[in-house]
Amino acid sequence: MSEVRRVVAKRSINAVITIFGILTLNFFLINFMGDPLDLLVPRAPSIPENYRLENCIRYGLCGPDGLPLGVADRFFIYLYNLVSGNWGRSYYWRGTPVIDVVMPALSWTLILVGTSTIITIAIGMVLGAMSAARRGRAFDLAMTGFTLFFYGMPFFWLALVMQLAFTTPQFGLNWWPVFPSSQRYSQSIDVLVWTDPDHLLDIVYHLALPSITLAIGTMAGISLVMRNSLVDVMTEDYVVTARAKGLAERLILRRHILPNGLPPMVTLIALDMAFIFGGAYQVEYVFSYQGIGWVTITAIFYYDFPVLQFVVVLGGVAVVIANFLADLILLRIDPRIKVT
Amino acid sequence: MAFTSASHWIRRKIGLTEVRREKLSLTTKRFGEIMWATVHHRMGGPGVAILVFFVAVAIVGPWLPLPHWDASLFPRTLDPSWEHPFGTDHLGRDLLSRVVRGSQVSLLVGFLASVIAGVLGTLVGLVTGFWGGWRDEVLMRINDVFLSLPWLALLIVLAAVLGGTLSLEVIIIVIGLTSWSFTARVVRAQVLTVKERVFVERARAAGAGNMTIIRKHIFPNVFPLVFANTILTVAVAILSESTLAFLGRVDRSNVSWGVILSEAEESGALLNGHWAWIVMPGLALVVVIFGFSLLGYALDEILNPKLRER
Repeated sequence: MSEVRRVVAKRSINAVITIFGILTLNFFLINFMGDPLDLLVPRAPSIPENYRLENCIRYGLCGPDGLPLGVADRFFIYLYNLVSGNWGRSYYWRGTPVIDVVMPALSWTLILVGTSTIITIAIGMVLGAMSAARRGRAFDLAMTGFTLFFYGMPFFWLALVMQLAFTTPQFGLNWWPVFPSSQRYSQSIDVLVWTDPDHLLDIVYHLALPSITLAIGTMAGISLVMRNSLVDVMTEDYVVTARAKGLAERLILRRHILPNGLPPMVTLIALDMAFIFGGAYQVEYVFSYQGIGWVTITAIFYYDFPVLQFVVVLGGVAVVIANFLADLILLRIDPRIKVT
Repeated sequence: MAFTSASHWIRRKIGLTEVRREKLSLTTKRFGEIMWATVHHRMGGPGVAILVFFVAVAIVGPWLPLPHWDASLFPRTLDPSWEHPFGTDHLGRDLLSRVVRGSQVSLLVGFLASVIAGVLGTLVGLVTGFWGGWRDEVLMRINDVFLSLPWLALLIVLAAVLGGTLSLEVIIIVIGLTSWSFTARVVRAQVLTVKERVFVERARAAGAGNMTIIRKHIFPNVFPLVFANTILTVAVAILSESTLAFLGRVDRSNVSWGVILSEAEESGALLNGHWAWIVMPGLALVVVIFGFSLLGYALDEILNPKLRER
């Protein structure tokens, strides 16, 4: 038991160090993109001095005394703010608090990436298991070739092709289904009412193309890993033994193969869950879907440091935490794991 | 006196080269076996064929009877025809010659960036796996940081730090710097197992130093894995470059497939239904990456004996 406790302690320390590393690297990389003072506090002589000063203090670049803060000072303020929840104001969104930019985007991303990921994990695992059960046969070969084709496909191109195929009636077919290819809901909706069935339907309608695009890419990875880890287990001696002693194929699958083949899936699923917080940059960008990924890319384009500092960290920290949780689960279900 | 020391030096030199040649032949033999198995693998064969085709296109590209890739000689945005199989773009340039040109740029970026990533990853993997201790801790935490940060955001921010629109060299370095983590992990794991093997202990007992052990015993055993990983990194690098290019972050005079797609998107190819402009460069990209995926799958089955048993 103390062994396990030691492993958990080690992993937690590592996670904390990694998170600190992410914060540091992220802050300094972003601040090397340009000088926020130059970007934000225009030095043109036509702009009155007090306006400049006000702006400088407002965006946290100057101290209360009106003197610009150094990078080191800003780093410590950034660390403090991260914990306190006061994430500063966005440059691009005209001084909107960062948290008000990030949180709505996050909830939209949760709708798009979250639902799509969870459904594809389920389908992907089933497909992978089917492929493994028929390994070496035509179904497996076709399936593996198919998944490999989609596995490395760039999301942005798939998104473009989906738009090309489903926005205007292509190939001269009038019955071809057409789906909206941008935004989260129709422009005609001024105020979104979540309880209005028409609005909900509109959201689902807009969700169709981006979520399918995302699903195809995610599913390929999941089913490939699932297949390979199951095949790995299937060649083990204890499976052969189980089969030799006449155990039903279904029981072998449930008692011997699945429990031993799932550990690699735990990490993968945890990571896929974490990527929800990172957002689907490419899909959100091509479909102009204003989630976390879209916000991040916009923030990079407009040098919106306050937003960028927190959004990128959000994705990174989610991955670290997901990895840590996956390790804990693995420790619980796989007694062979020792600290590495 | 001078003469004897010279002959001694020559003899030592010859002795060394003999040992090295033997070692090398062992490595190449193993290597040859892997190559043979890959080409005859049912996934690896087609993968190698695809890659050979694209590398050939990239190499003979300049001598193909095509209009210059940067010359605006034709009417704008033509649909595919016999004269222009992929059509022309918004400046009246032939898209087929641009896609061929793109294969050169994309493959070049892919190979060079993955060489950087491979060297970096191998060095980190060797150091962390062989020495362990604080070096392992420090480098693995850095590795964790790189693996955890959202890949694309890291790439774009790093690109932005190094300059607004990127030249080819900067892209190669940026991609190389961001994609060594996985190789480092794999090499480290392999080094950890190899260093416990008996022949390493024997070499140490015979008085071999750390560097000798790494050079003669560890590295030859890790090399096939490094090679396989470097090949896979090429696909990641090509993907990274095209994504950066699509987001408009690179210098457009280096026509990669991503640049063509980015121009297509910006010029409204989608709205005007110029499908070939979007589909063709993307298809080239996807098929090349498919080739790498097939090859990677085959290498995985060949290098992982457990999967090979099937």
